[in-house]
Amino acid sequence: MRKYLLKRILYLFLTLFIVATATFFLMKLMPGTPLQNEAKLTASEKASILAQYGLDKPVWLQYITYIVGIFHGSLGLSFQFSDQAVSYLIGSRMGPSMQLGAQALVVGVIFGIILGAIGAIKKDTWADRLATILSILGIAVPSFVLAILFQYYVGLKLGWFPVAGWSGFAYTVLPTLALAASPLAETARFIRTDMVDVLSSDYIELAKAKGLSKFGIVYHHALRNSLIPMVTLIGPLAAALMTGSMVVENIFSVPGIGEQFVKSILVNDYPTIMGVTIFYSALLCVLLLLTDIVYGIIDPRIRLSGNGD
Amino acid sequence: MVENPNNIEINPGDFAPLDKQAGPDKEKIAAPSLTFGQDVWRRLKANKTAFVSFIVLLLLFLMAFGGQALYHHDPNAQAPKYANLPPKIPGVNIHGLNGHITQSGQDVDAYKQAGASSSVHYVLGTDYLGRDLLARIMYGTRISLEIALIATLIDLTIGVGLGILSGWKGGRVDIFIQRIIEILSSIPSLVVMVLMATAFTKTGMASIIAALALINWTTMARLTRAQTLQLKNQDFILAARTLGESAPKIAWKHLLPNLSSVIIIQTMFTIPNAIFFEAFLSYIGIGISSPQASLGTLISDGQKNFQFLPYQMWYPAAVLIILMLAFNLLGDGLRDAFDPKSKR
Amino acid sequence: MNLKTAAKVTVVAGASLLFLAACGSKSSSTSSSKQTANLTQNAELPTMDISKSTDVVSSNMLNNTNEGLYRIGKNGSITPGIAKATKVSNGGKTYTFTLRKNAKWSNGDKVTAHDFVYGWQRTVNPKTASQYAYLYSGIKNADQIVNGKKAVSTLGIKAEGDYKLVVTLDKPISYFKKLMGFVNFFPQNEKVVKKYGSKYGTTSSAMVYNGPYKMTGWTGTNLSWTLKKNNDYWDKKSVKMSSLKFQVVKDASTGLNLYNSNKVDDTILSSTQVKNYKTNKDYKVYKTASTFYIEMNRNDSNKTLAKAFKNKKIRQALSLAINRKEYVSSTLGDGSTVAKGYVSEDLAKNSKTGKDFTSDASVPSAVEYNQAKAKKLFKEGLKEIGETKLNIKLLSDDTDAGKKATEYIQGSWEKLPGLTVTNQNVPFKTRLSRSESGNFDTVISAWNADFTDPISFLSLFTSSNSYNNGKYSSSEYDSLINKANGSDANNTTARWNDMVKAEKQLMNDQGVIPIYQQATSHLTRTSLKGIIYNTAGSQYNYKYMSVK
Repeated sequence: MRKYLLKRILYLFLTLFIVATATFFLMKLMPGTPLQNEAKLTASEKASILAQYGLDKPVWLQYITYIVGIFHGSLGLSFQFSDQAVSYLIGSRMGPSMQLGAQALVVGVIFGIILGAIGAIKKDTWADRLATILSILGIAVPSFVLAILFQYYVGLKLGWFPVAGWSGFAYTVLPTLALAASPLAETARFIRTDMVDVLSSDYIELAKAKGLSKFGIVYHHALRNSLIPMVTLIGPLAAALMTGSMVVENIFSVPGIGEQFVKSILVNDYPTIMGVTIFYSALLCVLLLLTDIVYGIIDPRIRLSGNGD
Repeated sequence: MVENPNNIEINPGDFAPLDKQAGPDKEKIAAPSLTFGQDVWRRLKANKTAFVSFIVLLLLFLMAFGGQALYHHDPNAQAPKYANLPPKIPGVNIHGLNGHITQSGQDVDAYKQAGASSSVHYVLGTDYLGRDLLARIMYGTRISLEIALIATLIDLTIGVGLGILSGWKGGRVDIFIQRIIEILSSIPSLVVMVLMATAFTKTGMASIIAALALINWTTMARLTRAQTLQLKNQDFILAARTLGESAPKIAWKHLLPNLSSVIIIQTMFTIPNAIFFEAFLSYIGIGISSPQASLGTLISDGQKNFQFLPYQMWYPAAVLIILMLAFNLLGDGLRDAFDPKSKR
Repeated sequence: MNLKTAAKVTVVAGASLLFLAACGSKSSSTSSSKQTANLTQNAELPTMDISKSTDVVSSNMLNNTNEGLYRIGKNGSITPGIAKATKVSNGGKTYTFTLRKNAKWSNGDKVTAHDFVYGWQRTVNPKTASQYAYLYSGIKNADQIVNGKKAVSTLGIKAEGDYKLVVTLDKPISYFKKLMGFVNFFPQNEKVVKKYGSKYGTTSSAMVYNGPYKMTGWTGTNLSWTLKKNNDYWDKKSVKMSSLKFQVVKDASTGLNLYNSNKVDDTILSSTQVKNYKTNKDYKVYKTASTFYIEMNRNDSNKTLAKAFKNKKIRQALSLAINRKEYVSSTLGDGSTVAKGYVSEDLAKNSKTGKDFTSDASVPSAVEYNQAKAKKLFKEGLKEIGETKLNIKLLSDDTDAGKKATEYIQGSWEKLPGLTVTNQNVPFKTRLSRSESGNFDTVISAWNADFTDPISFLSLFTSSNSYNNGKYSSSEYDSLINKANGSDANNTTARWNDMVKAEKQLMNDQGVIPIYQQATSHLTRTSLKGIIYNTAGSQYNYKYMSVK
């Protein structure tokens, strides 16, 4: 176990190093500079401003400075916000994104399990078909379309929840629901497939033969067994939530990382783009590692070893 | 039999062979022998949802690639005078399809307002530059599909190639490829795509395709590798090896056909995934650039007018949703169809 | 999560799952007897550092939380600020300001002449890397200091005691007082700057205020903040609002939804929204001193095109082919107006007649639409240069507005027989660098004035100016601008006439093709009174604002 963990953590750092390097050089291809008023500056003014950001140095030196900086927790200065450290920017924008992500995950997974379980239990009935269609719709309808519809119909027309902004729980409801569609769909499909298998297995037949109630069977035997492999879904779901958050936060004016990331791309604020990229990758890597560990703990059949697959 | 056994009369004719053609033959397979493809097709037809999806997809492809032949409207022809006109189908008088629109709380004939003669009608309305929305949706669907198909094709080539290589060779090659896959899949795919799309100066289609291809091949490679590992030690492959067949030939003649179901199913999920990501990139403004259009840019443009001209978002969004639904349902159907073990 | 909310969540989830989008109605209103308002901005606030402010949002916030020697009032007029009295001497080259003694910073410090000296020196100091230091050009030694050739202390500004400020200029600047209302010339409290170091101006608390309002709630990166009435402000009795809440809304649809649900009292409209709200009583257009125009590269590496762009008939044909009115109303539709010339409207008025600069210097033929004439001139022009067809690339931004413009102009130009146009939409910064290096055929450029004087526009097209990307060159034009900046600088009428003539010259030559003047359309509640708006500089002044 320890050997395995060490190896995984080593790979985590290797991955992050590669991400940082690749992003750095990709960003160097971009025309981004900290010059906000470029149209009106002379060459010497531009040069002195670039020097402030260390952009007058050769690229390899900038690269080394950047990589060394990461180990000190520094991701450079934002171009868009003057004198603002990217690490501070990410730190202060992290809260809302995390909250939305966690809420969407919880809502999506719970409703997904319910839908999936209904589908499996009532297999090949209208309820199953409805559940299937709903879950596929969750994948088919892009989150940005959903966000727009929620904002307009539920936020403005029905007036149930605030249209946009960020000051209290009520403000999180619509973005959470818009984000929850995709994890809901993924969970529902996963649970249904898994439970259909489980429900046809021998021990369920035995439980039936013993005369256990239907609910008891589903709850104690089928669902519990299907939930364990669900842990492996967390990684992909989190990645999907990051994607969704970019537009959903933008539409609902949520001061989160996704919203800032899109803006940074549009204004070529590449220190921020690099910082957020590394942050996202680190988050996903850690999540994947955690799910593997948790999976190993809750499912005794899986044994983590240092010997690869 | 109640007869006395002593009374059995034996005729020489009893020892003549029976006519082979006559009478039931238990060895015979009554139904015509089906090839794998035919079998899949039969099962697919039996699955109504998947079959309908297949038909829908066929129609959408026809519309995207052949629609221009029937509907002669240039998707890029501007008529600023007729900008933002609602749908109007001659002879139909339903609000939303008759060229009327609610403006500042009043029902007005938008066509009359724009000074359009009675012969002017746009079936799905026009966009902010007065371009025919139906033509643009057909065009946008085509671009979206082209991107998805080309990206998927590249995915297939890289993913299947590396997957087989990895599974077949094993050892260092395998470990090396596995590490690459591991690293690539721990980077959020959207981030990679965003970076690619931005870094390569927004070249439109090419950079999006490159970005999609770079990221999506990993799943395909993983699946083919697992499948190859299974097949590798089966008897027919061993037989081929013993007979001295070269490795590439084994891959081509023996592995690929057996991998086909996995590949086809995965493709059915890769394509909508690519369509979705393209729409996403275009929506946040780093995808296809005008005057080219994709479903993503059309939705993005339409969203800006959603409060007043909801059709501008609804129609392209509907096409996108139907496309995604159809691919996913067909994928599900194919998975069942390819897997003879699956019940149903 | 209380039960009711939980129920709602469930219902919404359920409803949305079933795709039932029922339309309900909602009524609520912001009864605002309280003097508060909710306003929106369409971009983040990047800084509150006076030396580093470059964008519209920070300039608006600083203009309302801080104050310089003057405050720009209605129609660009100069209203009192920290300066109580001003004396101009030495042929317009020395300004002596007497400061009011009751001006205080929000931390209790007095606002003194030293704060101005410190602030100005900090801005021109190359170490600060201010992006607006070039505005100081004309103040003694400013250019040399910015370029690192002279010490910061040599800047032509001196404090004589705490309440007397003497500014020395290299040459008379006729618009100098207007500059003093510009954010980058505001005083800065040395103690506070030193205290926060590199954190100065990065959050609302790492900053000090001497203007009508104080800022609270800005963490440096969030999307909302509040301006509260500043009780240390010297003229606090004129300030009626108790607080102004700001929220960043980047998506116009979201903004409108917020406005319609009474969550905000002001929002920026996008073009289709404008079409639907044009007749609304809340609808307001805010013009900006920003003109979009096409430059034609007379030094084009493609010799045929260089020749073509030197031909006046071809330039005029390209201008006449564009139906600006249709473009502005149908395509753009955001409230922008047809350009009356290169210099924008509502920027400056003739001090004698009160007429706008654009009407004094009007050359209608340069911004007119006449397709027949365009075709004729184009044909003649082609003949003159001995060509039968041209293939032009049109460069612009890859923004929405940029794309709309290229698409429209391509459509218009291609109606000229023998002309094909290829669009190039590139990122803003790429567009700039390509314009500067002359790597384009035609480019859609935009210029916005820094201060409310036509010279802010006109100085661009002198032969040697580095922003003259198309290399327009006219000795007559150059000499007129020189006169306006030199010998006529102290003579308002003569200077005005110089500028009028220069604009006419540029337009008669069709040196550039003006397209439109930018404007933003807002919905603003009619209950909000007294917002002062100017087309250039620090645009919004909320000092006298109130809610009725």
